[in-house]
Amino acid sequence: MRNILKKYWLVVLTGLCVGAAAVFLTAEGNPANMGFCIACFIRDITGAVGFHGAGVVQYVRPEIIGLVLGAFIISVIRREWKPTGGSSPMTRFLLGMIVMIGALIFLGCPLRMVIRIGGGDLNAIVGLLGFVVGILIGVVPLKLGFTLKRAYKQSKVEGLIFPALMVILFVVSILAPALFKSSVEGPGSQHANVYIALVVALIVGALCQQSRLCMAGGVRDAVMFKDFKLIAGFIAIIVAVLVGNLIVKGSLAFSFEGQPIAHTDGVFNFLGMALVGWGSVLLGGCPLRQLILAGEGNTDSAITICGFVAGAAVAHNFGLASSGAGIGTGPVLIVVIASLVILALVSVFNIAKGEK
Amino acid sequence: MDYIATFYTHLSAMRTHKELKKRGADARLAPVPRKLSSSCGTCVFYTADAPMLECMDSDYEAVYGAQGENYTRLSYKE
Repeated sequence: MRNILKKYWLVVLTGLCVGAAAVFLTAEGNPANMGFCIACFIRDITGAVGFHGAGVVQYVRPEIIGLVLGAFIISVIRREWKPTGGSSPMTRFLLGMIVMIGALIFLGCPLRMVIRIGGGDLNAIVGLLGFVVGILIGVVPLKLGFTLKRAYKQSKVEGLIFPALMVILFVVSILAPALFKSSVEGPGSQHANVYIALVVALIVGALCQQSRLCMAGGVRDAVMFKDFKLIAGFIAIIVAVLVGNLIVKGSLAFSFEGQPIAHTDGVFNFLGMALVGWGSVLLGGCPLRQLILAGEGNTDSAITICGFVAGAAVAHNFGLASSGAGIGTGPVLIVVIASLVILALVSVFNIAKGEK
Repeated sequence: MDYIATFYTHLSAMRTHKELKKRGADARLAPVPRKLSSSCGTCVFYTADAPMLECMDSDYEAVYGAQGENYTRLSYKE
């Protein structure tokens, strides 16, 4: 029993804190079932700097900045900050784009998927099925010898650039908010107080760095190693969100229809999250984990986040992103199929020689 | 004696795991213990009479001797 406690306490505590933070931030003004969403919030920042023109989703989200800097600060204190990089950066950029497009078709990263489940949104269960199937597909090339090659030690400057960009973004957004686009209606207009959001995210970022919480890693480790540590964090988030919503709202309505910032197209909810699951396994972590690793000095993860930004811009500029009204008006199906083909090609062509 | 080998890639862990098993060591793949790394890579736990460094794939990072949860680094490759 002591061993189980010792193994699980930190990741479960982190999951509970992430879930509680999500409910808290929604009560403070963030959109419903979106207290935390890495994909949505990176997309909002992408809009705030004018990379896409969807007026309802533009805002400099301090949560993203706080997660990266929370991980950065704790890793420096614990002497775990280590600038590394050089592991197939262009492939990672491309995978990042696909993961983001998939997430915006579903309307949420794996973290928001879990938060939506805790909020009673049954569409997110369909998303979860797609996510798990995507991960199971991605595990196959991993077992066959898939590799994006090793990362190498980098200079301190290289590792510092991404956290520094986050600091600059935050400071400029406070000193000169007029430089950024900011939604006056829609999800982008709904947000908690900047400083409250930043502090919550700093704490969550530090906890995630210490516990290595990862949505994709949870399923992957359970399947590949029968190791259930990370998935315990995943479940803890759902429990915390369920209980938190019950406390705040007094009741929970489980349904497909009428859920906040969600659509009911099951096929695309499934396919969107399948792209996210498959892409995340190839990348070695979900979007939340990429933010944390980037804070720790991992420049491959920083490049992946640049891919997320590009993916968000593409998703909104080409009508691929869904909304509460349904899937986008652009060539969504074609892009989903093309993305699946790209993931298959990346999977096959990166299986090391002699392993096939 | 128990040992843990850590790696720069998952593939490298798989290759070493295979090699160790071929040479008769009792080996298994697992996530790297948090105490050893903040990254989320794959490691190999193995039991053998010696660290068997000759089995390590070229992308291995370090080999530790393990006594419970106390680890002593025996070898490191940057």
